[in-house]
Amino acid sequence: MSVTEFGSWWPNGAYSVVSLLGGAYLGWALGANDAANAFGTAVGSRIISFRRAAVLCAIALVAGAALQGQGGIRTLSGLTEQTPTTLIIVSISAGITVTLMTLMGFPISTSQAMIGAITGIGLATRNLYLSGLAKVLICWVATPFGAMFFSWIIYFLLRFVFRHGRMSVLTRDKLLWGGLILVGIYGSYALGANNVANATGIYSGLLEGVTDFHLTLIGGGAIALGVLTFSKRVMMSVGTKVMKLDAFNAFVAVASMASTTHIFALIGVPVSTSQAVIGGIIGVGILQDLANLKFGILKSFSAGWLLTPLISLILAAAGYAIFM
Amino acid sequence: MRRKGKQQQVQALMADYNNQVITCLDAFQNAFVRCCDGFDPQQLAADYQAVHRAEGQADDIRRSLETMMYSKAVFPESRGDILGLIETMDKVPNQAESAVRMVLRQHIELPMDLCGGIIELVNVSTSCVHAMIEGVNQLFDNYLEAASTAGKIDELESEADHLEEDLIDWVFTNDLQDLQKVLLRDLIASVSSVADRAENVGDRIRVMVAKRSI
Repeated sequence: MSVTEFGSWWPNGAYSVVSLLGGAYLGWALGANDAANAFGTAVGSRIISFRRAAVLCAIALVAGAALQGQGGIRTLSGLTEQTPTTLIIVSISAGITVTLMTLMGFPISTSQAMIGAITGIGLATRNLYLSGLAKVLICWVATPFGAMFFSWIIYFLLRFVFRHGRMSVLTRDKLLWGGLILVGIYGSYALGANNVANATGIYSGLLEGVTDFHLTLIGGGAIALGVLTFSKRVMMSVGTKVMKLDAFNAFVAVASMASTTHIFALIGVPVSTSQAVIGGIIGVGILQDLANLKFGILKSFSAGWLLTPLISLILAAAGYAIFM
Repeated sequence: MRRKGKQQQVQALMADYNNQVITCLDAFQNAFVRCCDGFDPQQLAADYQAVHRAEGQADDIRRSLETMMYSKAVFPESRGDILGLIETMDKVPNQAESAVRMVLRQHIELPMDLCGGIIELVNVSTSCVHAMIEGVNQLFDNYLEAASTAGKIDELESEADHLEEDLIDWVFTNDLQDLQKVLLRDLIASVSSVADRAENVGDRIRVMVAKRSI
């Protein structure tokens, strides 16, 4: 379907606006929940105010989306072909899944919700690019393990520095807590670069006059809005969910999340920052003391990891069956 | 002139505080040495004033440090630890002052045979405080070394405890008036408490290092 045909489905481009609202909702939910992965510990420990953290996070996030977010958009838009109706079904299915999972208390992954819904449509229309999906699935599995691997590298490097560097307690705390703000900014940048595709990726090439760059700005803006308006509660509560984090562990977890997510942004596959940060925390937990890990929470994360794409896939396929 | 950063200001104030504690403990040591030369109320009052002055100046510095801490001069983790540290350290010069005041106000005359032991206890307690100051300085220079100094504080405190027990034994096995026995026992316990307070600071140092160990 050409851009003109698509745009003419609704008169005067009103469709574009309505259709993008679904993506904007996902972006908003993503910002509200995932900013905590980058700044949660820093805000929870009161080394930076929520307002400052939210502003820094929003700026870095939009920059990441605008500068390096287009790879993910290409991957997502290449998984299957969309029609005006399937676009709406995908947005609504992913939106319902995210809301449902949040209400059920599971950690959400908008990447998985969105790709689950796209896969549902692809399966229903028998029009799914399996090689693209395989790449995404491999990256999903690789995300927590990649973050775990990075956490080990960062852990040993930092440990060497702190064990062999001559410094006062104040310098040590300044380096770690100050560094936590820096990796928070980097994590926000990686979040924007990696996850903007979840918000607006499926609209790539389908809306008249809207380029992929515009989509990164719209998606980045929506995620930033989520950070600024609704992320405070999650930010204040994050950090002790899986393991109690001190400055060192938090630094390692956030830095490994940021590095992993950024690498997947460069590869062009949207992944879950929550799973990346959990991978980082488990990595630190393995090196220190596994008893510190709260395995009940990890079970909930694993359940969310499996259920999110599945529910979204079923909803999208069912939606397609009903409306098409 | 380049303005000092907040961290440098905190470190400078800590160094000033440590110097005042040392001054206070030196005055405490001098007071007891002179007491053994014979009870001279005027001299003792002057010695007490020296201890009191140093303790007061240490208090002023502590208050400045606390104000800096409450104005969020350093990161929260450091802030809580430093507030706890100076609060615990503050009890050391207080105790030294209290021991000298006890001699002055209660007119305690030290028996000549007890003087050697008392001076030894004072010296060990003062060494314990010096080790404490060394540990605190290490926290602000190379914190990983501070843990071993905390061990040194423990050893000195333990030595002070043994001396205290021996001295109290001596007091109650010698021919002294009952009232004098009680006064001397309290004085010996008070001098030994200086080392106890220093040990509490050593424990704080150990916790601060342990919290930051990787």
